Amino acid sequence: MPARKDLNTIMIIGSGPIVIGQACEFDYSGTQAVRALEEEGYRVVLVNPNPATVMTTPGLADATYVEPLSPEYVETVIAAERPDALLSTMGGQTALNLTLELMEKGILQRHGVEVIGAKVESIQKAEDRAAFKEVVASLGLESPRSACCRSLAAAQAMAKETGFPMIIRPSYTLGGMGGSIAQNAEEFDGLVEKALRESPVGEALVEESLIGWKEFELEVMRDASDNAVVVCSIENIDPMGTHTGDSITIAPAQTLSDQEYQRMRTAAIDILRAVGVDCGGSNVQFALQPETGRMVVIEMNPRVSRSSALASKATGFPIARGSAKLAVGYTLDEVTNEITGETALAFEPALDYCAVKVPRFETEKFPSAYGALGTQMKSVGESLALGRTCIEALNKAIRANEIGLDGLEELRVGETEEEHILSSAHPRRLQAAFTAIKRQGRGCVPALASQSGFHPWFLHQLALLAELEHRLSASGGTLNATLYIEAKRFGLSDQRIAALSGAGVDAVARLRQEKGLAPGYRIVDTCAGELEATTPYFYSTWGEDDEQDGLGKDAVVIVASGPNRIGQGLEFDTGCTLASLAWQKAGRETIMVNSNPETVSTDYNTSTRLYMEPLTAEHVKDVLKKEGSQRVAVQLGGQTPLSMAEALEEAGAQIIGTPVEQIRRTEDRRLFAEAVERMGLCQPRNLSATSRQDVVKMAREIGFPVLLRPSFVLGGRSMTIAYGEEELEEFLAQGIPATPESPVLVDEFLEDAYEYDLDGIADGKNLYVGGILQHIEAAGIHSGDSAAVFPPYKSTPEILQSMREAAKAMVKEFQVSGFLNVQFAVKNEKLYIIEVNPRASRTVPFLSKASGVDLISAAVAVWEGTDLKTQGLVDESGFGEGSCLTGWAVKEAVFSFDRFAGLDPVLGPEMRSTGEVMGIGASFGEAFAKAQAAANAPLPAQGRVFVSVNRRDRETIYPVVKELADLGFEVCATRGTAQFLFEKGIFAEVVLKVHEGHPHVVDHMRSGRIQLLINTPSGRYAQMGEEDIRTEAVSGKIPYTTTTSAAVAATKGIRYLRTGESGAQALPRTAGFDLRS
Amino acid sequence: MDLSAFLILDDGSVWPGMAFGAQPPQMGELTGTSMSFDGEVIFNTGMTGYHEILTDPSYAGQIVTMTAPHIGNYGCDSRWDEGSNPEGPVMAARGLVVRAVHDGPVPQGRISLPEYMKAQGVCGISGVDTRALTLKIRNQGSCNGVIVALAPGEKLEDLKQAATRYLATMPEMGGLNLADDSGSSQERVLQPEGHPHVALLDCGAKANILRCLERRGCKITVLPPRTSGQRVRELAPDALLFSNGPGDPGALDAQPALAEELLGRLPLWGICLGHQILARAAGAKTIKMRFGHHGVNHPVRDEKTGRVFVTSQNHGFAVDESTLPEGMTVRFRNANDGSIEGLEDKKNCLLCVQHHPEAAPGPADSEWIFDAFLSTLKEGPHASA
Repeated sequence: MPARKDLNTIMIIGSGPIVIGQACEFDYSGTQAVRALEEEGYRVVLVNPNPATVMTTPGLADATYVEPLSPEYVETVIAAERPDALLSTMGGQTALNLTLELMEKGILQRHGVEVIGAKVESIQKAEDRAAFKEVVASLGLESPRSACCRSLAAAQAMAKETGFPMIIRPSYTLGGMGGSIAQNAEEFDGLVEKALRESPVGEALVEESLIGWKEFELEVMRDASDNAVVVCSIENIDPMGTHTGDSITIAPAQTLSDQEYQRMRTAAIDILRAVGVDCGGSNVQFALQPETGRMVVIEMNPRVSRSSALASKATGFPIARGSAKLAVGYTLDEVTNEITGETALAFEPALDYCAVKVPRFETEKFPSAYGALGTQMKSVGESLALGRTCIEALNKAIRANEIGLDGLEELRVGETEEEHILSSAHPRRLQAAFTAIKRQGRGCVPALASQSGFHPWFLHQLALLAELEHRLSASGGTLNATLYIEAKRFGLSDQRIAALSGAGVDAVARLRQEKGLAPGYRIVDTCAGELEATTPYFYSTWGEDDEQDGLGKDAVVIVASGPNRIGQGLEFDTGCTLASLAWQKAGRETIMVNSNPETVSTDYNTSTRLYMEPLTAEHVKDVLKKEGSQRVAVQLGGQTPLSMAEALEEAGAQIIGTPVEQIRRTEDRRLFAEAVERMGLCQPRNLSATSRQDVVKMAREIGFPVLLRPSFVLGGRSMTIAYGEEELEEFLAQGIPATPESPVLVDEFLEDAYEYDLDGIADGKNLYVGGILQHIEAAGIHSGDSAAVFPPYKSTPEILQSMREAAKAMVKEFQVSGFLNVQFAVKNEKLYIIEVNPRASRTVPFLSKASGVDLISAAVAVWEGTDLKTQGLVDESGFGEGSCLTGWAVKEAVFSFDRFAGLDPVLGPEMRSTGEVMGIGASFGEAFAKAQAAANAPLPAQGRVFVSVNRRDRETIYPVVKELADLGFEVCATRGTAQFLFEKGIFAEVVLKVHEGHPHVVDHMRSGRIQLLINTPSGRYAQMGEEDIRTEAVSGKIPYTTTTSAAVAATKGIRYLRTGESGAQALPRTAGFDLRS
Repeated sequence: MDLSAFLILDDGSVWPGMAFGAQPPQMGELTGTSMSFDGEVIFNTGMTGYHEILTDPSYAGQIVTMTAPHIGNYGCDSRWDEGSNPEGPVMAARGLVVRAVHDGPVPQGRISLPEYMKAQGVCGISGVDTRALTLKIRNQGSCNGVIVALAPGEKLEDLKQAATRYLATMPEMGGLNLADDSGSSQERVLQPEGHPHVALLDCGAKANILRCLERRGCKITVLPPRTSGQRVRELAPDALLFSNGPGDPGALDAQPALAEELLGRLPLWGICLGHQILARAAGAKTIKMRFGHHGVNHPVRDEKTGRVFVTSQNHGFAVDESTLPEGMTVRFRNANDGSIEGLEDKKNCLLCVQHHPEAAPGPADSEWIFDAFLSTLKEGPHASA
């Protein structure tokens, strides 16, 4: 069937901010969907308040809104844009849930909007566990034995029948949030109560444990003519018991016989048919008991998902694009797979390689949260690698994870610890298994399989690797080409081969040089070579032929940002993607190197060529050699590419933009301090301690409070503010080394200062400032975690001018060509330079959208030789600055604290947010209120505010409380604060602190009496009870401000909600940039 | 497994690897045609199903290259054997070429692929650049090859010479009649009390075709490949199914003649080679395809309903559409390249498919075609009341 003619405007809902369980895979799917629909001539309206995305780049959709994803706000967009249809399947669980809400509230019906993609009935059938179980049973298939319970008693009855362990999951949450495993009756009761609370419908699923079973996912697409294909099978190397998002996985499935696989395939298609998914992609999860072959259906998602993004990248089959086409009426045989240009989407991909995904955890940021994994997803990102064998791909994927592992290395823990890890769903379990095999040999595989739950086939692959490594170690430093190539075929890096063989890095490099050894590059063609297809998607392997010639010296290689992590997320991928598109528009061929399967940058049509490779210097150098190009862009992908700039340059690469030695000057503390002094600027006092005694000495010298952190960190890992000796001791007690190689940085901490971010583009002489963002939280909270506003709202013209002057000085000092990000702090009207980043920053996409000037295409134009004057961005004096076209724009950080039970959600110098949202408005209050709503922490328009502030903040907080009281809020406060407020003439109900007995503040929160919290901790050690308040605020979703400035902002937002007019405003079109070229 | 071996092709190209399964021949054994180590080197893109492929009689005389790198992962189980002829070999394929064979533990009750192949006397080679080999076959067309081992003290160059000389004596697959030798020599009846009665002309029929018919309650008479029309008329089956099988359909004479004789007198069905035989009987020609279809992922559109099925395929020849006689319609078509995947002649109660509705290996999406076969009994002029 051809595309539907009765639709004109189609609305797509994005997934909102990046949180654990919902990441940039939905930017990828949404972007593909927008493009696919526009190709068909539809007008596309997009709603997504996540400014970091590619999809919200103005010019991609016909109209882009960053309104909050709640029914009230989305209705304003519907009223303004009058869409004919809503495509519900591209924005993850958020979009599906919102679609259901829009339907339940009658909003879609009222405006005559048809739901396409997945019909509401299908969503309900798939998402409602009881209904889904019925579907499964009706097909003669099995579900895990389970019951949906609305009370503890019902759950207990079920547990009695089945026995422990049992799995408990709340219904209707994303990424399996709130899911847990109970080993016994005691654990069980608490977990059931928690699940009932967390489910938006107060329902929990209690089911038999399938821990240790094999786990599979099938990505299926079905069209309106009942045609279906299975795009990809994915096998979890981690057995059941670990959330699939947290599992190491391999595609295609490796351990299923044809009969088993076909049974699963048929079941998956039958399920789609029965649920009624008839125009798009879905994934279906299965568990298989290894001994009996008993197969049970776990769940399905009637939409594109994280695993469909993974499957798309693993196979070259564009699931989201195809789903969008099917949603408007096409059938699978009518849509061509662009990657081959030969085959229809009805052709099931055949793989002649293995694709291994490794999840990325933040074990260092949330150490307590990773004792063991479970049914609740905790990883923040993932890396994908392709290789001709499982081990080759696995070694590459672990390396690509950028967690300091050079591949599958042995664990360096004691045997007791190793035993413990082997028996639990630990992120390091596979490493522990490898360690055991390497020590004991392949004979231990059967025992290890039953202990760890890993399938013997996978363990056998580890044994092959272990044996190869033993041979390398036995080679006595005499590495020959044969053994080297064999090791490379196992996916080992040069560095690891050098270390294992004892030959040394130089000898390995020499061997490569002398024998002319290089990897061969294979293409991902979806058909295992059966058909002639010229595709732009490559991966490396060894000892095999190379396909296709290089693009040559004019092409630009973009080193992207690797797996998502806290501190380096989607915004960097957006930078890489937009730069690639801008370059191609300028007629230059681009080559993307990345290892993150979730992203738009790893879409096959983003760049002229795509390499799915780990982002290490070795792999990038090999790509440069293969392509015959030396031009490398390192400013776009965050810290990952920047950190390899020197190594690439040494190998002959030509780094685009700011010279490498200048990049080094901004990163080296001593050189940077000298430069700051030369420019006549000021930094907080800072020293580098190379011994533990030094740390103490220097802290005293600078004077408390001091900011402490290990050198070379990203996103402020292990950063601490020490207010006194005691905190200093505690920091050192964490075991952070202070050595000449890895010093501890000791900085003066500017308490109560305001922080700013300036993002600019320079061409070596001229400077265009995209904008200056002022942080709403006071200094001390990591810039990535702080709400920020554009334009600055509490700043004097003089201080802003001094920032501009400082930035101009830096352009000259560091010969900046391309991006410049400066972080400033202002205390007592004095300007301090906190940090300079000679690369695109986290805030570049946000500022581009608010100012209407795309900083990325401006940078690309500079690198292509068009200076800023010619671009018309600067005046005669060589300076220009963007303004906020939307009036006000607020950026708010979004956290995933609810993923880490019991973790204190206090903010500090260490970045912990996973995503961000944007709110725009005519007033600051409007922009702030929208940003809060978009962050899923909507401000209350009425109710009761709880106030507890430390002595220092009392005077500042008084006007805030006064205004809230004037707006009709009731006030409650802790004894001291209430006393103070009373003296000022505000009556506040006294509420007990947690240690003062019941009912205390947390009790009031639980019973719904408190709608807003203003609580400013003093020092790092919050008073007893505060941690409980914060934790309850997170689980009860009560807005919570911990600084006076945030309280002021919240009050302005509330005033807007009470008095302002709500209306949707589309993002302005970005000047000179059209994604649809 | 550490024996170094080579796949040598008739164009002289040498593909190194390691031997597994049966011991490959050494230079001295490459004499005369009686040893039959050679085969047409083809590839299959299925990611599962190596056991079914190796035992499928259609692969007689072929050395199969699996494009999926890891092969043997889940072991072998004789219950998956696809050969239906009790007199025939368990493994019809001549050899197996893979990137990484699994020689580690397999699930209980199964045996490893190398062991199974060793027991069946079929040799394999692992560690080969199978993608390069696949691209070569795709671009140059299939060729003959042999898996050989280098004995101590021998030179690879000499081995290569010997192998290419040996291969030069081999016939090409085009023009080769293999079906006559692949089918059973004896008639036999399965499920004698079943109904309707389907006669199966066995040109190397896969076991799962028999199982699919048995599951539908049929009585099945398996007929040797050169069965006469006279004999079929004596048996008076309700329909005659021409099975799959190896070799060039253009080289067959007895089977197209039989079909021609019975066309219009009896419902005729065909699968793969059987489809090509029926097309030839009706006057159409078959041609050797450039690439062929070898996998379990090909979309086939039913032109009658517009529905698309993912099918199991294994054929290097196809029916030339321009030669189709009147009355013969294209019922099924490949959704990728538009080639003929099935024919129908309503008047003569003829229905046949190029792909494999019995799967094994591959998706069961088109198993309903057996029902479509059976429904011709009710619709056509031969409909039994």
